Amino acid sequence: MLVNPDFVDEVKRSEEFNASACMNCGVCTAVCPMGIELLPRKLFRYVLLGIKDRVLENVETIYSCLLCRMCEANCPAKVRIAENVRTLRYYINKKVFKL
Amino acid sequence: MSDRRIGVYICHCGGNISDYVDVERVREAVQNEPGVVVARTAMFTCSDATQQEIVQDIKERNLDGLVVASCSPKLHLFTFRNAARRAGLNPYQYTQVNIREQCSWTHTDDRDGATEKAIRLIRAGIARTILTEPLEPIIIDTVPKVLVAGGGIAGLRAAIGMADIGISVFLIEKSPAVGGWIGRLEKMYPHGRNGRQLIDKLVDEVKKRENITLFTNAELVEKSGNIGDFNVKIRVSGQGDKKDDITANVGSIIIATGFDSYQPGAGEYGYGIDGVITLPEFKELLDSSDGIPARNGKAIKDVVYIYCVGSRQQPDRENPNLYCSRYCCNAAVHASLLLAEKNPKSHQYHLFRDVRTYGRYELLYSQSREAGSTYLRFGEDDPPAVERCSGGKIKVTVKDLLTFGEEVEIKADIVVLVTGMVPRKNGELVDVLKLPVGRDRFFNEIHPKLRPVETVVDGVFICGACQGPKNSAESVASALAAVTQSASILKKGYVELDPLMASVNPQLCDWCDECVKVCPYSAIEKGEEQGKEVARINKTGCKGCGGCVPVCPREAIDLKGYTDAQIKSMIDGFLKETF
Ligand SMILES: Cc1cc2nc3c(=O)[nH]c(=O)nc-3n(C[C@H](O)[C@H](O)[C@H](O)COP(=O)(O)OP(=O)(O)OC[C@H]3O[C@@H](n4cnc5c(N)ncnc54)[C@H](O)[C@@H]3O)c2cc1C
Ligand code: SF4
Ligand code: SF4
Repeated sequence: MLVNPDFVDEVKRSEEFNASACMNCGVCTAVCPMGIELLPRKLFRYVLLGIKDRVLENVETIYSCLLCRMCEANCPAKVRIAENVRTLRYYINKKVFKL
Repeated sequence: MSDRRIGVYICHCGGNISDYVDVERVREAVQNEPGVVVARTAMFTCSDATQQEIVQDIKERNLDGLVVASCSPKLHLFTFRNAARRAGLNPYQYTQVNIREQCSWTHTDDRDGATEKAIRLIRAGIARTILTEPLEPIIIDTVPKVLVAGGGIAGLRAAIGMADIGISVFLIEKSPAVGGWIGRLEKMYPHGRNGRQLIDKLVDEVKKRENITLFTNAELVEKSGNIGDFNVKIRVSGQGDKKDDITANVGSIIIATGFDSYQPGAGEYGYGIDGVITLPEFKELLDSSDGIPARNGKAIKDVVYIYCVGSRQQPDRENPNLYCSRYCCNAAVHASLLLAEKNPKSHQYHLFRDVRTYGRYELLYSQSREAGSTYLRFGEDDPPAVERCSGGKIKVTVKDLLTFGEEVEIKADIVVLVTGMVPRKNGELVDVLKLPVGRDRFFNEIHPKLRPVETVVDGVFICGACQGPKNSAESVASALAAVTQSASILKKGYVELDPLMASVNPQLCDWCDECVKVCPYSAIEKGEEQGKEVARINKTGCKGCGGCVPVCPREAIDLKGYTDAQIKSMIDGFLKETF
C-alpha cells in the first residue's frame, strides 16, 4: 500500500485531527459498545500514514460510530477520538459525498 | 618440625563451605601440622567478631603466621592482611586458602572428596606460610602530571578537571584540531546547545590554564614505567614528513579517544543510491542549511529514517555489533525535530525496531510525533527494502507491525540510515598501552558498576565513547570520574605496590639475558653488582608473573612470596597422605 504524504495534510487542514499520541494499546477497541474493530486505532493509523484507500474502503464503518466517547474517556494517551472521527467525517462529506 | 607459630582459621561461610566440606574434620586433620599452634573454625571468618578473635590470638599466642581457609583472595585477601597488620603481624605472612570457589562450590556432589581436597589445600597453605618472611610494600612517589589522549569533549573536560586540581596535563590530539564529533555539530539534543560553541568554550578554558600543554597531530608511541611514574613518548607530526618526538614523565594516563560512526557497506539498506545517507551526513546537511534543507537543488520534504543500522546486529553475521549504540534514537528523533522546524511541510517516517529514547529524552519522542513524525515498526528478521525509483525518489517498502503487519510503501526524497557507534581503529594505542579490549572491541573497564573508569593496567583510565556508546553528557560524566580516580592516586603522592616480585641472586646470576627475553613487561635490565654484570629487576615494572623464574639456567631468580622452596613445600603439603 502506497503512503500518500499529502493525505494527512488534507485531513489535518482544520488542525483538529490529532492522533499522533496514540500508542496502539487497543483500549478503545475493547470498550467500543458497537464492537467496531477498525475504530479508532486502525483507522487513525491509516490516516497518519496516508493510506487513503483503506480509509475510503471503510466509509460506512466511520459513520456507524455513535460518538459516545466511551473510548475517549478510557484512552490513556488522551487522544481526542470523537473529534478526530468528526474531522474525518467532515473530510469525507466534502471529498467523497461532495456535500 | 618447624618453630613457627601459625594460626589456622577454617570458615563455614554460613554453609557455603560447610554444607559440602566437613570443616570439623578438616580442623582435626590440620591442627597437628608442623608449626600450627591454633586451629579454629568459624561461621563467618570475615565477621568483626572473628577478626577480633584472630587479632587476639595473634597477640596473646604470639603468632608469626596466619592461614585463613575461606573464599577467594579476590574477596578478602586485604581484609585478613589488614587484620594481621592490626595485630602487629606482617601482612605478607598471611596466606589465604580458597576452599569455597575452588572446593566446596565445585564439588557439591562429593562431600568426602571435597573435605579431603580442603585438607590438602590447607596443608599447602600452611607449608607456604612456614617459609614466609616479612615483606613491606614498595612505595613509589607519584609524578603530579597526567597524559590525556584524545581531545574530544571527554578529553578536553578531563584535562580541565585535572588542571584545576593542580596537576599538570599533557593533552594530545591525533587530528589537526580538538573537538571530536561534538566540534562538528550545531544544535544538539536535548537542550539545543550548539556543539561547536561548547567546544570553543572548553578550548578557551584550556587556553586559560598554564598547566595544560596541548599537542595536536600528536600520538602516544611509547610507554614504560608503572602507575605513578610512567615515561611516555609523544610523536608530533609537523609539515610534510617532519616528526618530533617529545618525552614526558607522568603519573597517570587518561584515554578519551572516542568512537567512529558505523560505515554501511555498499547496498546495505540501499547505501550507495543517491539520496541514501548516514545520520552524521544528514545532521551536517541540516546544520549547513539556513532555510529549507535541500538536496540537488530540491527541497527535502519526505524523509524515511531506518534505525539501528550497524547496531544490534544479528548474532549470526560476521563480527556482529550486538550492542545498542544508545545515542542514535535520540539523535535521529532530534534531527527530525530540526527538519520539522526548518520545513514545516515535511513528512517524516521513522522505521524503527524499538524506540530507545530513554529517560528524559522520551520528551523528544513525544515532541517529534506532535510535530508530525510517524513511527513504523519493523521486525528484526524483516528489514525494510530500499530501491531507486522514478522521479528521483527512493522507494522504501516495509512491513509495519503497528499497522497490523501490512506492507507499506513510502516514496522518499532522502533515506537516513541511523548509523551507530563503532570503536575507532586505534591498534597502535592498544599495543603501546596493552589496553584491554572487550568483545565489542571498545576499551574495557575493570568493573562496569564499581570501577567503571579503571582498566587492568594500573594508572591507565578510560572515559567517553572509547569505552562504549555514550552521549556527550555521559561522556563528560565519565571523564570527571576518570579525573577523580586519577587525582586520588596523584594527590596522595605515592602508590604502594605489592612486593611479590622477582629478585635476582647476584652471586648466581652470570647475565646470560635469558630472562630478559621472556619478561612481558620489559622489567629486566642489565645491572652491576661488585663489578659483575647481573640482571636487575625494575621494581616498578615487575608484575610478579614469574615468567623469568623457570627460564634462568642458574636458578638465580626467585619470586618473593612464592619462592621455589615455598612452591616445593606446598607440593609436599598437597601430597601428604595421612588423613
Ligand atoms: C551525528 C551525531 C550526532 C550526535 N548528536 C549528539 C547530541 O545531539 N547530543 C549528545 O549528547 N551527543 C550527540 N552525539 C554523541 C557525541 O558525539 C559523543 O557522545 C561524543 O562525541 C563523545 O565524546 P568523546 O570525547 O568520547 O569522543 P570523540 O568525540 O570521538 O573525540 C575523540 C577525540 O580523540 C581523538 N583521538 C582518537 N584517537 C586518538 C589517539 N590515538 N591519540 C590522540 N587522539 C585521538 C579524535 O581525533 C577525537 O578528537 C552525536 C554523535 C553523532 C555521530
Ligand atoms: S485507546 Fe487511545 S492510545 Fe489506545 S489505541 Fe485507542 S486511541 Fe490509541
Ligand atoms: S616476574 Fe614477570 S615481570 Fe617480573 S621480571 Fe620476571 S617475567 Fe618480568
